[in-house]
Amino acid sequence: MKHEDSTDRKLDLLLQDAAATYRVPPEPSFDLIWSRVEQEAFARSAVHGTRGRMGMLVAAVAASLLLGVMLGRYSARATAPPAVATTGRDAGNTNARAAAAPYQRETEEFLGNTAVLLAALPRDGSTEHAPTLLLQQAARLLTKTRLLLDSPAAGDARMRDLLQDLELVLAQVARLQPRRQNAELTMISQTLQTRDLVPRIRSAVTDLNFSDYPE
Amino acid sequence: MVHPQRFAVDLCPTLPEPMPSAATATSPAHADDERSLIARAVVGDRAAARQLYDTHAPRVHRLTYRFCGDSDLAADLTQDVFVLVFRELPKFRGESAFSTWIHRIAVTVSLNAMRKVKRLRERETDLDEAQFHEEKSGDIDSDLRNRVQAAIDALPHGLRMALVMHTIEGYTHAEVAGALGIAEGTSKARVFEARAKLRVALGDYLEEL
Repeated sequence: MKHEDSTDRKLDLLLQDAAATYRVPPEPSFDLIWSRVEQEAFARSAVHGTRGRMGMLVAAVAASLLLGVMLGRYSARATAPPAVATTGRDAGNTNARAAAAPYQRETEEFLGNTAVLLAALPRDGSTEHAPTLLLQQAARLLTKTRLLLDSPAAGDARMRDLLQDLELVLAQVARLQPRRQNAELTMISQTLQTRDLVPRIRSAVTDLNFSDYPE
Repeated sequence: MVHPQRFAVDLCPTLPEPMPSAATATSPAHADDERSLIARAVVGDRAAARQLYDTHAPRVHRLTYRFCGDSDLAADLTQDVFVLVFRELPKFRGESAFSTWIHRIAVTVSLNAMRKVKRLRERETDLDEAQFHEEKSGDIDSDLRNRVQAAIDALPHGLRMALVMHTIEGYTHAEVAGALGIAEGTSKARVFEARAKLRVALGDYLEEL
């Protein structure tokens, strides 16, 4: 027993030495590795869609969706509590910025979640169906979009446009029907492409991150 | 409320997350920062991705080098790990520490690479490259040190990885378990077995010490 303890201690010593000497890596060029990572990981193409000729159908469904969106926005506004706007005349920029900060965080989180959802959508032409969980998440994000549209977060014209476009897409996703999913995914894919949504989300996130540092 | 990243993984469960590790848990503030960086990286913010890379790349590189003993291969593996990390990032659920998730990817990538390079285990580690720090441990002679290193290299993969991660790199058993996708008790058992094999392999030397 004692002998075993003794060899154990000696082995510990050798392993401590090994921690300092066994395959100690040379300093690599992390910048070089990063440049290759960046090239490979971020050079993915956007969603590729096969553009079918579905003009009339697209127009009809888009129109009905737009109507649904408008009704939803109207009902959300009607049930929302009155906005609190109590800034006095002497309220300075600092107060305004502080008041806007929570909306900014919410918007950033919303955009991130929406980007994740869009990335998780089955590809256009795919035979797989969007799971119910995804449709439920789209519905939740749709509600959040409407709240953001009624908040100071939509004060900026570009952000407002983006939120309105996302509202339309999220409504499309939330209403995906298993029977007509392929056609609807094609429409969603077309909307994403024609409205340039993913790059606009990225750009908006970047703007939000740098808005704390005004020129 | 279902976490969006969690449900994204449920859709495409290609990289299961490891067990949560207390040892890799970070402070709430740090975790918030990291979550924010992850959210930004998911939508293509390269500055955020670079910050995540800067934080984790050195440890990943050290681990891959300890596994393979080749600087070019370790750099390639580090690159592969982070390409995979950023591609799979939308599927990261946040149930385990981000670092544990990355290390699991690192272990998977390293294992796959080492399986492909069959002769890797026989590769002689370049003495210049390995940078043996004689001055740090002058009381162990180089012959013995080489024997120890050869004995570690001769261990079966599973045992060697657990030993290298836990005993050489200082990961906790929870972290080893998370990265290797095994139970914590299995990690302990593997380290114990590895030590037993080393005791046998170095028997004569241990007697003389």
